[in-house]
Amino acid sequence: MEDRFKYGVSLYSFTEDFGSVMSIEEGFDHIADTGATGIEILGETHVTGYPTPDKAWLDRWFGLLDRTGLEPTNMCSWVDTKLRLGQSLSVEEGAAELTRDLTLAHQLGFKFLRPKFGVISADLVPDPIWAPAVERVLDLAHKLNIVICPEIHSPTPINHPVVHGYIDFIERTGTKNFALLIDTGIFQDRPLKSWVHEVPEGDSDHAKLINGMKVNPEELVGIAPYIAFIQAKFHHIDDNLHDENIPWEKVMPVLKRIGYTGYLSSEYEGVREPWVAIDQVRRQHVLLRRLEAACDAVPA
Amino acid sequence: MYEFQLIQSTGFRNHGPEGARDGVEVRLRLPNYRGMRLSLLDGIDVTLDGEFFSHEVTSLILGGTVYDLAAMRDATTVRWAMGEHASVLVPKPGGLLPGIHHVKVAALVRSPYFPPHLQPLPVHGERLATIVLP
Repeated sequence: MEDRFKYGVSLYSFTEDFGSVMSIEEGFDHIADTGATGIEILGETHVTGYPTPDKAWLDRWFGLLDRTGLEPTNMCSWVDTKLRLGQSLSVEEGAAELTRDLTLAHQLGFKFLRPKFGVISADLVPDPIWAPAVERVLDLAHKLNIVICPEIHSPTPINHPVVHGYIDFIERTGTKNFALLIDTGIFQDRPLKSWVHEVPEGDSDHAKLINGMKVNPEELVGIAPYIAFIQAKFHHIDDNLHDENIPWEKVMPVLKRIGYTGYLSSEYEGVREPWVAIDQVRRQHVLLRRLEAACDAVPA
Repeated sequence: MYEFQLIQSTGFRNHGPEGARDGVEVRLRLPNYRGMRLSLLDGIDVTLDGEFFSHEVTSLILGGTVYDLAAMRDATTVRWAMGEHASVLVPKPGGLLPGIHHVKVAALVRSPYFPPHLQPLPVHGERLATIVLP
């Protein structure tokens, strides 16, 4: 049915497995076996030879897509504004990073590109080159049929100057090639039980990141027209199929109500151990599909 | 494929000519979940059996080239790719005796999308590892 969500998985979910106990072939197989139709990757992690993979790797990539029937969804990239100590990237250099990744994403068949810009403040305001740099590549994105989507990610909530800035940019340029990616970690409303993150204890954002931002899912209503992609971030689903951190029973009905029909791309980010994520992703797919079926069973 | 731990078992060895060792190599997997340009790495602290070597004196062997801290900071076009090993070269005349040693590393990684006060952040590894040859 056309008004159903699409289900995908990000290879990022398998961060603790990939490269030591899991190859890209096995990653594809684990994703395909969930019944997902889409695969999301990180360019710098999962593309051997990034940003210019050789023919052998490209053959392997397209062979895996053929064999599993998965479609490329979103490719994650970075604009490393602080590549050098003491001198940030210029607008031209930022645009060149975006061009590099748009080109690769297109070559691999992706429809979305998530660039992560360097920031200039503790509350994660992106380097101001983001707007002119993106503006310079909008024509290329249009030509390649790719939507560039910055992610709205904890500790940045929906109602925040950064998000307002992205929306103003979309309105000002009228572009169809720049939109928002929502990371469902912003809806986390219960603390993480076991999590060792890069952010040290005592940091101002530590409590937010551990206890959750608790953004009200109803806030999605106000930004609905700008949402292009959803990373279904989660941390732990217990043996009773209960998510301990993300209130899916509140998130899914709102996504239905605003008419979202894009991807829910699983992004597991739990304990830093191998062999955990594969089944966690399977659990999430059962949980999300059940909730969607329950939403669909209620007459509109 | 990598060994799971940051500090790899294989590749932990003495450096320099046999009989005139001038250092120790500690082989690492990429200390990040994404491949990165080498200038985002701000050196690697190493502690061998309690003896501390600052990131200002260690260097990194990547793809056959040796980078000291200044060279690393300049390496904006060199990539440490996912799947690729690199070895920290610790200046320790005589090297280490064959046997089991306590090894600690802190790779200082700058992630431009993290708040400025969290750059760089140390990525830690600690284990017992074995030197086979003198």
